[in-house]
Amino acid sequence: MSTVTIEISDLKVSSKSDDLLITYALGSCIAVIVHDPVRKVGGMIHYMLPLSEIAPEKAIDRPAMFADTGIPELFRSMYGMGCDKKNLVVKVAGGGALYDDKGLFNIGKRNYTVLRKMFWKAGVIIASEDVGGAKSRTARLWVGDGRCTIACQGEEVEL
Amino acid sequence: MSATAEILAQVNRLPAFPTSAARLAELLHDDRAGAAEVEKVIRPDPALTANLLRMACAPYFSPRSRPETVRQAVTLLGVKRTFEIATGAALSSLIPARLPGYDLEARSFWLHCVAVAVFSERLGRETGNRSPDLLFTAGLLHDVGKLVISTFVFRQARAILLKSRLGMDFAAAEREVLGVDHAEIGAQVAEIWKLPEPVVLAARWHHRPMQAPAEVDRTLVSLVHLADALAISLGLGCDAGELARAIDPEVLGSLGIRVRRMEFVASEGLDAVHELAAALGEVREVAK
Repeated sequence: MSTVTIEISDLKVSSKSDDLLITYALGSCIAVIVHDPVRKVGGMIHYMLPLSEIAPEKAIDRPAMFADTGIPELFRSMYGMGCDKKNLVVKVAGGGALYDDKGLFNIGKRNYTVLRKMFWKAGVIIASEDVGGAKSRTARLWVGDGRCTIACQGEEVEL
Repeated sequence: MSATAEILAQVNRLPAFPTSAARLAELLHDDRAGAAEVEKVIRPDPALTANLLRMACAPYFSPRSRPETVRQAVTLLGVKRTFEIATGAALSSLIPARLPGYDLEARSFWLHCVAVAVFSERLGRETGNRSPDLLFTAGLLHDVGKLVISTFVFRQARAILLKSRLGMDFAAAEREVLGVDHAEIGAQVAEIWKLPEPVVLAARWHHRPMQAPAEVDRTLVSLVHLADALAISLGLGCDAGELARAIDPEVLGSLGIRVRRMEFVASEGLDAVHELAAALGEVREVAK
């Protein structure tokens, strides 16, 4: 088994059935985890911010930094591997928040809101999700069988 | 001996800050100090010289040209910047491989320190001419207290984590359980090491910027508070406390920084954070 790490503001897809895709320390960032059980292809993005309009030049360089440029890129990469949209199983993790009573520092919430809007427009259904809370999550996806787990606060659970 | 007294006693047992770096801090106050004086302090210390040059070559500090000698570095970057880099290089040799209380490897601790240094400085620019001095160093050393308190946090990890997961700020949970937090300990360490005042103040008040006494530079401590929150939120060197950090609701308003600008700072600063963390990682390898 080989481990493929997805760093912050990056995305990766793999069709190697013994690959494990992993991303660490998802705070307010979000991981979108996509798996095609027919083609046995997996993909993951770890995006940091909601909208690329704050730094359009950066988005050209690093589309996976933002939800609005990164998520379409992830799906395009999956299609490029021969995947069909109707077969894709989509899961979401992250979007955590600090203890911020007044909601001034709401990057996680905004990251999630933008994703929901994009998925609603594109007709993408979220199979399962683990979002919010003052948590830091690690997401894993086994490309071969599509198993997905979230590790957080000392426990690892299936997603 | 109470836990608090035991922790405070431990502060004095931390290794001394390298003499050459401490002497550089003194030169900061001397308006007449130039490249020659700085060179005289650094050159006799081969480890500091090598590490300083390695870091000074990072594009974050030297985007256009790469200094090859100490003299070049000081001429190019100035005394203050040289001090900031030398402090990072000196501190890197004092970091243990692991901080058990925070469930942190040295690499993640550094990533966090560097992220807060870079974000503090970039957020400082957002405040225009109010940007305080030595923000990079103040950010870099804000968590230095964790080096002392980590083993004590480890012993009481269950009690501290229980409180923090029920909604209490992690540093506040440290205070409740241990009687003192890493912020206060960090300030005491910085004082013993005779580091400049902004470093001491940022360490002491970075979790409670608005509770600092009136004479404290609120802009400085608020910027480091915000930079720390941003780095934690983005998972840059996240520790056992995860996201259990309280944001002071007044900070954004008092600095006049909007969330969108903070996002911009994050997007612009991320590459510099990784680049400098890698440079510091190399420095650590050399120091071992």
